[in-house]
Amino acid sequence: MTHGATGKLRVYVLLAGLGLLGALAFGRPELAALAAPFALFAGVGLALIRPVEIRAPAELDLERQLEERHVKLLMEVSANRGVEHLELVLDLDEGLVAETPNPILIHLSPGERRELEVPIRCTHWGTYEVGNLVWRARDAFGLVVYEGTIQSNLRLKVYPRGETLQQLLRPLETQAFSGNQVARSRGEGIEFADLRPFTYGDRVRRVNWRATARRGEPWVNETHPERNSDIVIFIDTFSEARRPDLGTLDVSIRAAASLAALYLREKDRVGLVSFGGVLNWLTVTSGTTQLYRIVDSLLDAEILLSYAWKDLDVIPPRTLPPRALVFAFSPLLDERAVGALLDLRARGFDLAVIELSPYSFVPEGDTELERLAYRLWRLRRDALRTKYASLGVPIVEWQEGVPMEAVVEEVRAFRRHARVVRV
Amino acid sequence: MLSAAALAAYPAAQNLRFQWAALAFAIAGVLVFTLGLIVRWPGALGLGLAALGAEYAVLFVAEGGALDRYTPAYAAGFMLVAELGFWSIEPRIPAWSEAAVAEWRLARLAGACIAAAVLAALALVAAAAATGTGGLALESLGVVAAIGSLILITALVGRRAFDE
Repeated sequence: MTHGATGKLRVYVLLAGLGLLGALAFGRPELAALAAPFALFAGVGLALIRPVEIRAPAELDLERQLEERHVKLLMEVSANRGVEHLELVLDLDEGLVAETPNPILIHLSPGERRELEVPIRCTHWGTYEVGNLVWRARDAFGLVVYEGTIQSNLRLKVYPRGETLQQLLRPLETQAFSGNQVARSRGEGIEFADLRPFTYGDRVRRVNWRATARRGEPWVNETHPERNSDIVIFIDTFSEARRPDLGTLDVSIRAAASLAALYLREKDRVGLVSFGGVLNWLTVTSGTTQLYRIVDSLLDAEILLSYAWKDLDVIPPRTLPPRALVFAFSPLLDERAVGALLDLRARGFDLAVIELSPYSFVPEGDTELERLAYRLWRLRRDALRTKYASLGVPIVEWQEGVPMEAVVEEVRAFRRHARVVRV
Repeated sequence: MLSAAALAAYPAAQNLRFQWAALAFAIAGVLVFTLGLIVRWPGALGLGLAALGAEYAVLFVAEGGALDRYTPAYAAGFMLVAELGFWSIEPRIPAWSEAAVAEWRLARLAGACIAAAVLAALALVAAAAATGTGGLALESLGVVAAIGSLILITALVGRRAFDE
């Protein structure tokens, strides 16, 4: 806590001194009468100075919340003495908005405990410190100002809001564990695959009696087994296109969190690679705990400028299991991320690239030269997109305002019609 | 600013020998006070108030004679101008304010003005009772008050940092 004399105190003392000296010099009591109130004001004010200590224990009703939802911050403000004029500013990070007026100016009577309830709207995902308060109090005479901060250190995690997705993108190949996906291979399962002649060891319950009667020899049903799959969510954190309210990283974080939740619900194993200035990864695992791990890891994702050249070799091999579907979210603005994705494809991974379109974040330019540069830049990006497509990598441009459902459907359509290139 | 102008009007409107001096102090006082409000500098407010006080002093230097019976009212107005001026420039942020804060403040402002008037009246009565028109008692009071003020100023300067 700090406190300091206001300019008012100095001026009042000066006026009192001048008035009294003037009264003395001119021999007029009127000037002393003018000066006396200021002297009394300053004297009484200084005599009554007592330090102010403000306490404001705070608590949050929720420690985790989704974007665009609310949490309630409850504070109980009190002081060691009455405060006539107390300014309180709730120090909120960008991404949190107080729904009640902030700052506020209140009066605290001696012994009063004021309960403040502040609804906070979570406008952006992230991890925040909430409940830190900056206060300023004045004494009753306005001669001394006290200022201080109160650190509550309450942590609030705001999770990205979910994108709706009716149908998930299925990997080309499944894993060995049972799950909810119909495998392309044949084995024990429910989904009918084909008919074949009976061989020694086939179970009787698999005999297709109708086909057997028609062909005069025993035939059995073949089925597709239900397997799980491995999904790796790959996020490019080398660079992003951003304007104050939104950036490509925000879009990719929201999409990644939604995908992780949906795939984990299908009993698939999901992992995460945050590839950028700081490499962050989670090996593939299934279960609700993994969802929280992934979301917490996504909350820490940020763009950190780095000149270090990084390629796939820096990623631990176990993070990228064989036959995994790699869902890559990238604005394709950094050569290192572009190269890593091509490398992934070259290593035979089932890759789907969601290109987070930076066009809505980059103005076309005012001059002819700027517009020319903009067009050239777009052409280069088109060429890059063509390169991915020629390698059999589904690449879909995700433009602002387009739902994720449409993007995933476009990837699915590409995979339906394009031949898978084995490199 | 309006209250400062109204305060300045009282001595300047009198028919004085040194009316030009009263007018000069009045104009300077109001202008410097206004400047202080604009640039939010307490020093300028202090100078403006001092100029207004000097204008009031011109009234006695020019006229001499009996005590001014309007001094308590002038002291209350002087306090009102000073308080409103410092209220205007005090550092603050645009904040929602509960009604009690303004009520307390207005009550304190009214109390300060009334106290100023009462104190000024008491000072005048004491001075008049002691000597009729002032004299040794008033001068002694002035000396003591002036020395006390200087001690206060020195103490304040010594505590400039004022931080714990």
